[in-house]
Amino acid sequence: MIFDINTSTGHWPFRKVSNENIGDLEKMLVEKGIGGAAVVNTHGLFYKNCQDSNLELAEMVSKNPFFTGVATLNPLYPAWEKDLDLCIKDLGMKGLRLVPQYHGYGLSSHCAREILSASSSAGLPVFIPSRVVDVRQRHWMDTGQTIDVREIGNFSLGVAGSRIIVTECAIYASQVLGTDNKPLYPGLFFETSRISSALGRELAILVKGLGADHLIFGSGAPFKEITPALLRVKHSGCTDEEIRKISWDNGRTVLGI
Amino acid sequence: MNYMIYKPVDFHNHVSGKKGKLDKKEAESRLEAAEILGIDKVCISRPLTWDSPSPEEFRAANEITLSAMSLFKRFIGFCYINPGYSRESLDEMEKCIVKRGMSGVKLYHQYFICDPALYPVMEYAADLGVPVLMHAGKLTDPLSQPRLSNASHFIRAVKMFPRTMIVQAHIGGGGDWEWNLRVLEDMDPSAKFFIDTGGSVVDNGIVRRTVRAVGEDRVLFATDGGMEEGIGKVLDAGLSENQLKKIFSGNFYNIMSERRVK
Repeated sequence: MIFDINTSTGHWPFRKVSNENIGDLEKMLVEKGIGGAAVVNTHGLFYKNCQDSNLELAEMVSKNPFFTGVATLNPLYPAWEKDLDLCIKDLGMKGLRLVPQYHGYGLSSHCAREILSASSSAGLPVFIPSRVVDVRQRHWMDTGQTIDVREIGNFSLGVAGSRIIVTECAIYASQVLGTDNKPLYPGLFFETSRISSALGRELAILVKGLGADHLIFGSGAPFKEITPALLRVKHSGCTDEEIRKISWDNGRTVLGI
Repeated sequence: MNYMIYKPVDFHNHVSGKKGKLDKKEAESRLEAAEILGIDKVCISRPLTWDSPSPEEFRAANEITLSAMSLFKRFIGFCYINPGYSRESLDEMEKCIVKRGMSGVKLYHQYFICDPALYPVMEYAADLGVPVLMHAGKLTDPLSQPRLSNASHFIRAVKMFPRTMIVQAHIGGGGDWEWNLRVLEDMDPSAKFFIDTGGSVVDNGIVRRTVRAVGEDRVLFATDGGMEEGIGKVLDAGLSENQLKKIFSGNFYNIMSERRVK
């Protein structure tokens, strides 16, 4: 079985994305052997008041138990503390996505630290995408900013006990392992869809250095095709036990489901 | 889907090294990755990315490719040249393709594909019956590669060099691939034009729409180093067995059959 930590629903305004409707997305995932998924609402990138996107997502997920909802909030916008509480207690969200490149703040800012701290106190993992789409092909109204894994790593070090899932990031061991081969950022978890596998054995090296618990299968659907992500894990050279953890256990464990 | 029965040929990949010396370990790693993913043969080159590489520099780059070819028979070499050095480029093509068994020409962004400076090398490639693979893309930040060819340059190039087989590199190489495909809808159906699927971009629909825009006989499977991406996005394109056969290797062997020198 496979659990996908990185899927999205909702309309993307900058190019046509097939299967962005949640029912079509489920079908797309199931056809590839995926048995469950964490999902974010793309509208959360664009709504000024992104709590509305969380309400939309909660309604969709309540009718579709295949998915686990991940909220999106902007710590620059009023009442995010109240919204976070509602997302956890009433809407059943199991994670919180932060998108500073869309919402206009930096990870070193006070507001970012505050929301990470609040979410960590509530036991909620935070998702941070390095990018949503490849900025080399971005629409002229879209952001051109990507977030470096080291910036996210330093952000995580600022709040003890925080857990951050880094998505859409091409990570190399040299960025996240020290010279002693120990993890530089123990609170980071890495989604696998952009980690090279067969060439250079990067995924296996990361598993060895970080521990298999810190790698989580993700596809990036429906923005991206799914088979490339499946091939990465399949041909990673990891043990069956490690592949099982990456493909199924870790995603569910980190979300507490 | 057992795509390996089609014995995929990666039309666009690279080897590395310095001062004419192959990084053998890296080349072995690349072949190992190809083996894991069931890729039968790998076309390689060593392009130089700065403004105007000298003849000494591109000759040294080709020595790296030639070393890889002599060590590993599954590598198919492409000769990299800087067309600004016309005489030296023709000599290098003769050395690498006619005498030492390379199978095509690789160009980088030193010139647009439709620059008149390319006439001698494009005509010679046509005489030899070998393809010319040109680095390409439609970047949203054009200043980073000011002479990067996009689809509109290829539309012009096939008119300028109608005898030459021209390959637009990596539709998934980063850049506005939809823009490129919309332009390529106007490609002359009789033109000797091809496009490879390489690059790290695996956007939903990218290969399916490439096939729709230019036709299955013009699409070449490639990775440009992104091995899982390369295989995976072709498999997800919803293509027929016949289309997969052409894209994974059939179109490549058709191109190779045009070669006019031993």
